[in-house]
Amino acid sequence: MSDAKQKQYVDKLQQIISHGFENAAKGFAGMVGQMLQVVDSKVCAVSLQEIANTLGGPEMDAVGIYLRVEGEISGQIMLILPYQKALELADLVMDLPFGTTKTLGSLERSALAEIGNLTGTFFLNAVSELTGIASRPTPPAVMVDMVGAIMDVIIATMGRVEQNVLMFQSTFAFANRETNADFWIIPDPETLEKLKLAGEGLNG
Amino acid sequence: MANSIAIGLAELKVSRNPDDVLVAFGLGSCIGVGMYDPAVRVGGLLHAVLPFNSDTKELSPKYVDTGIALLLDELTKVGAVKNRLITKVAGGANMLNVSSLSSSFDIGNRNIEAMHATLAKLGIKPKSEEVGGKIGRTVRLYIATGKMTLRMMGEQEREF
Repeated sequence: MSDAKQKQYVDKLQQIISHGFENAAKGFAGMVGQMLQVVDSKVCAVSLQEIANTLGGPEMDAVGIYLRVEGEISGQIMLILPYQKALELADLVMDLPFGTTKTLGSLERSALAEIGNLTGTFFLNAVSELTGIASRPTPPAVMVDMVGAIMDVIIATMGRVEQNVLMFQSTFAFANRETNADFWIIPDPETLEKLKLAGEGLNG
Repeated sequence: MANSIAIGLAELKVSRNPDDVLVAFGLGSCIGVGMYDPAVRVGGLLHAVLPFNSDTKELSPKYVDTGIALLLDELTKVGAVKNRLITKVAGGANMLNVSSLSSSFDIGNRNIEAMHATLAKLGIKPKSEEVGGKIGRTVRLYIATGKMTLRMMGEQEREF
């Protein structure tokens, strides 16, 4: 692919995923009952090593909400946030004062899973609206562990394919509470091809 | 002063410097293999990601099978002797707690199988194993003493 074509391709993808992230944010906001901002959504290629170094390094305590995407397009969705932020997010979802949630039991985990579910579904719906390609998320898995261990799920799935992973990344931030979460979409390689073809049909 | 050296994904390092502590942070489904020769105080740590290497041309530490072979090779080069090596392994967790996902992505178990098969082929029996389960682990190898430790989320470091 020439540089100009490559740029055009990334621009199209950017357009599709920005729409997806914004819609996902709406789903998220609807559930937590607050407005939130989509910060810095982008298409990027990262190495396997870099993935494990997200959120302050592989040994940091974190919570990952993970879904597979199945259907005409396939891939992985990961919403990952530092452990402390996940406790705050659980407070937010369950409408409790900040600092109430101290551990993540089954109730808190299922609240977090629901956020993953909603965010993922809203994202996929937006992509489908724009491209006509349908897909659905699997039930979410909630992982509470070190960043490195959580990210192994993505790495193990993609690692057999290549050293660099193309992914879409965004950060959600709440206006009046500083809870943020990283939202990652990692399309399977064959899906990228489909999105590319669909992207060529878009204007702009 | 201890000198902590991170062993990233698909990496391996060998050291004979007693100040060095080799660390593989946050192993999930990945496998950490540590080998130490107490006679010459040389040790190495591997952080492998996937079970078997299908590319016979490239011996990569990304895979359990070729990674272990490379680790043994590197250790031998700096004076270690195979039958003196103390080998300990950790990792291979299944991080996904949803049954619909975990069955098709059980890389952890496949990594453990690959580790057992590769070590058996080389005639090496691990002295200690902390594998499987659903929990991430950080593994350290202290070159000065050969001590290997584990740490899980919210827990203290302990020898294994």
